[in-house]
Amino acid sequence: MTIKKALTLSVCSALLAGNAFASDKVLNIYNWSDYIEPEAIARFEKETGIKVNYDVYDSNEVLEAKLMAGGSGYDLVIPTGAFLERQLQAGIYQEIDKSKLSNYSNLDTALIEKVSAHDKGNLHNVPYAWGTIGLGYNIDAVKARLGDMEFDTLDLIFNPEITAKLKDCGIGVLDSPAEVMSIAQNYAGVDPNSESKADLKKGAEVLEAVRGDYKYFHSGKYISDLANGDICVALGYNGDILQAQSRAEEAGQGVSISYAIPKEGTLIWFDLMAIPADAPHPELAYQFINYVLEGETAAGISNYVYYAVPNKAAEPLLNDDVISNPGIYPSDAVKAKLFAQKAHAAKFDRLLTRTWVNIKTGR
Amino acid sequence: MSTASRVAWINDSYTKMTKYNFFSRVNWGRFSVVAVPYLWLAIFFFIPFVVVFKISLSEAAIAVPPYSSVLDWNLEEAYITVKISLSNYLFLLEDDFYVSAYLSSIKVAAISTFFTLLVAFPIAYLMARTEGSTRALLLALVILPFWTSFLLRVYAWMGLLKKNGLINETLMSMGLIDQPLVMMQTDFAVYIGIVYTYLPFMVLPLYSALEKMDMTLLEAAEDLGARPYQSFFLVTLPMAMPGVIAGCLLVFIPAVGEFVIPALLGGSDTLMIGRVLWDEFFLNRDWPMASAVAVVMLIILVLPIMLIRNGQGKEGAA
Amino acid sequence: MTSPQKIDPSNIGEQAQIKLPSWKTDAKPFVQIENITKKFDDFTAVDNISLDIYENELFCLLGGSGSGKSTLLRMLAGFEAPSSGRILIDGIDMAGIQPWNRPVNMMFQSYALFPHLTVNENIAFGLKREGIRGTEVKKRVAEMLDLVQLGHLGKRKPNQLSGGQRQRVALARSLIKRPKLLLLDEPLGALDKKLREETQFELINIQDELGVTFVVVTHDQEEAMTLATRIGVMNHGVIVQTDEPHEVYEYPNSRFVAEFVGSVNLFQGEVTTDEPDTVCVTSTEAGGVLCVNHGISCAPNQEVHVAVRPEKVRISEQRPDQPFNCIEGNILDIAYMGSLSVFKVKLPSGKEVRVTQPNINRESGGRFTWDDKVFLSWDMDSCVVLTS
Repeated sequence: MTIKKALTLSVCSALLAGNAFASDKVLNIYNWSDYIEPEAIARFEKETGIKVNYDVYDSNEVLEAKLMAGGSGYDLVIPTGAFLERQLQAGIYQEIDKSKLSNYSNLDTALIEKVSAHDKGNLHNVPYAWGTIGLGYNIDAVKARLGDMEFDTLDLIFNPEITAKLKDCGIGVLDSPAEVMSIAQNYAGVDPNSESKADLKKGAEVLEAVRGDYKYFHSGKYISDLANGDICVALGYNGDILQAQSRAEEAGQGVSISYAIPKEGTLIWFDLMAIPADAPHPELAYQFINYVLEGETAAGISNYVYYAVPNKAAEPLLNDDVISNPGIYPSDAVKAKLFAQKAHAAKFDRLLTRTWVNIKTGR
Repeated sequence: MSTASRVAWINDSYTKMTKYNFFSRVNWGRFSVVAVPYLWLAIFFFIPFVVVFKISLSEAAIAVPPYSSVLDWNLEEAYITVKISLSNYLFLLEDDFYVSAYLSSIKVAAISTFFTLLVAFPIAYLMARTEGSTRALLLALVILPFWTSFLLRVYAWMGLLKKNGLINETLMSMGLIDQPLVMMQTDFAVYIGIVYTYLPFMVLPLYSALEKMDMTLLEAAEDLGARPYQSFFLVTLPMAMPGVIAGCLLVFIPAVGEFVIPALLGGSDTLMIGRVLWDEFFLNRDWPMASAVAVVMLIILVLPIMLIRNGQGKEGAA
Repeated sequence: MTSPQKIDPSNIGEQAQIKLPSWKTDAKPFVQIENITKKFDDFTAVDNISLDIYENELFCLLGGSGSGKSTLLRMLAGFEAPSSGRILIDGIDMAGIQPWNRPVNMMFQSYALFPHLTVNENIAFGLKREGIRGTEVKKRVAEMLDLVQLGHLGKRKPNQLSGGQRQRVALARSLIKRPKLLLLDEPLGALDKKLREETQFELINIQDELGVTFVVVTHDQEEAMTLATRIGVMNHGVIVQTDEPHEVYEYPNSRFVAEFVGSVNLFQGEVTTDEPDTVCVTSTEAGGVLCVNHGISCAPNQEVHVAVRPEKVRISEQRPDQPFNCIEGNILDIAYMGSLSVFKVKLPSGKEVRVTQPNINRESGGRFTWDDKVFLSWDMDSCVVLTS
């Protein structure tokens, strides 16, 4: 009998663990992998007595699939702007009561303004971190092939004359249709968020012209490939490329990586904290959001993950190599050229995916 | 009634009696033996399939879950609405993209299956022909890699095949090549990955077929004038055919839907139905379309198997 | 009757002397086996055998399991290579000639029919390997099926045939190439007793009709007796005796052959009389003097065995009027077998003697009963003296 009981118990707890919550004082967070200073969670647990159940994902698509299926059991998730924008239409997030967030005023109002493009009035989100998609390159390899020129240009990946010269050392591009197509449309001189077929075609033409010179489309491989010298140019997330930079330094194989925000303008993205409508413990989520908004916590995160936080109170506490790195905190002039990628209609998504597969497979 | 005919009568009715008991007993045993796999199939195959099939008949929506409901009812107002959409299937047919994705998946799976067979046959043959410890060793070598994670093994291949990987470094240090060979992100790497991963699924059925084979059949063939290669094609291969068919199905079917290997080892231009499914589900967020793609894939895979099984059944009955 | 001088004691226990069958004195041997030895690691399966087999013979290799008979057969077929010695078939040295190039076919003990081929395809297999195609194949397969009386079963698969039918298919398949030499490994071993007896005669008829030389391996001495023109009795890798079936039975050259072929009573004793036409042995085991009416090479006082077959022994209540070959004992057991009765008689020495008596009339089995005192006797020419 006791054995049977024990079995039943363990099965129950396994099921509960699968659903990610157990008792009242447990907060279930679903965040990107490697996206927080590990001590930050321990500190929060110690200060509040709340147990944090911290789960991670590595793509917005996976997060979305879980949320859309319903009953995820999470109290706090951190989708990217365009994804939150679409998910709001399904009504899966609850409105944020800002009166419960004493540290909300720490946020950078200029950046919050940009975020409202995704969520009008920012009723459902609190920004967590932001970044850009830009160019990572192997300084020596690119110099050897292109000579002296400024490398802060999308010509590195979109100009056939230049990509032909870089083909032999390898170009890797994010396998992220919406984001890359926005950047390509912007490069082609049309609205990066346009959903017109003609504009999509213009963006596609940019990519088709250089497709043969690319080594691959992939959203993760470029970090180690850049660091190892397997590729010399990548279009990727700034934090990833800075990670490749430090890995290359550690390896000491003579590979040095640099990150540039292209002068043509590129995509700025925001990862936003949101509370699912069916969150079991929204009150605990509020406490955690307020904790992240503290200058000290935000600075800790930014110093650790090499992404910018939209938090004025954090700025004095940031490490020098972070605050003074234009790859993380660009100047206001550069910031002005950044654009947010809007969520697309389902019809356009299908068209975009098809166009993207055709580009990738060279059909 | 004479003694002899009486004995015969008793014997006869005794046989009838025991026969009756025998069958009634076996039927129960049979029922439970057959019920378990059927129950298993029902829970883990049929019910999920019905769910997927139902989703494939709905339409995508921005909602939780993200598709329209096929069946609606309201008991108070006493109505039931059934709304079936075939548009997903029509779209699959209309758009040659899906057809070419299926074809390309089948091509990749067929080529991989062929090479798996080519590699597995000598291994299985050797295993079936050796005795005792050598056989145990070979068996262990085939099965042992299964004890490590599948992903780990695919990553190991990435380490071997990449530009500055082990193979290129070795070949270059031996002076056989000047430039590193491009192996990663090619179809070649996908074939290697599938052949390597699915090899045991081919070796084991082949081994069990070859091991059962009576060796004197080969001597009989030689005795009747067949040279060794003729003996192989005329006797060994036909005798191994059940194993060849089982092995090929075990490799081909998962290879058609393979997602991880092409994603990790293949190039961006490797078009496979597993990837299309992923795109439909995650990029287009079109669960009904993704379900339709999956249902059609299942039909493509299950039909040939049923045909093969039917053919085998007929042969056995002839 | 063959002359008793045939037993050459100098040879007994070594290699038996090869004797020509009387009906083929001048012929050239078709198969010549010369000093063949086969070793597997440390084990000697075949030990320096020499043997000639003649055209149209039906030669039986008779022996128990592990006697080396199958190994010898497999060397003829080419599946095993001799460790030393050579084999000539029709005058050609077979060394290095592969099985598929030999003018020999074999019928396997398990039949080894190809399960994936029909009866027709099985039989045609050998022809097709010779490059023969089309109507010629059809014609010859049909002939073979007629020969083995299976004309109607050509389209079946082996697993749809009975054991006897399979045996015939195997025979037809091994004969289709018209081999000059057919090797048969326990050809009747898998059949039940009745079928085996019928098939024995068919086999002889077919052999007769086709004029093929048969070499048959068997462990069944009755089968060997029925089939063979000559028998080679094998033991521990050597042929201990080669002779016509009748000779092997009546004049075994050793205790092994005497005991292996049929049943026999053996009495140990000492040679007391040694004359050209009479040899007498005093046996305490038998409790009397045993004499044979032909000379053997032996010395006085030599230890020998006297062998007498159970059916050659007479059994009587009264002491018969003969000075030797007469012993007494008590009936230990009686078995009524229908056509004959078997008596077990215990001698005063403790030795048990087996006697069979035909049941000539209905009462003959009931003349004696348990524990009766009886006398056993036989004629001088009914027994043999064995020195080994």
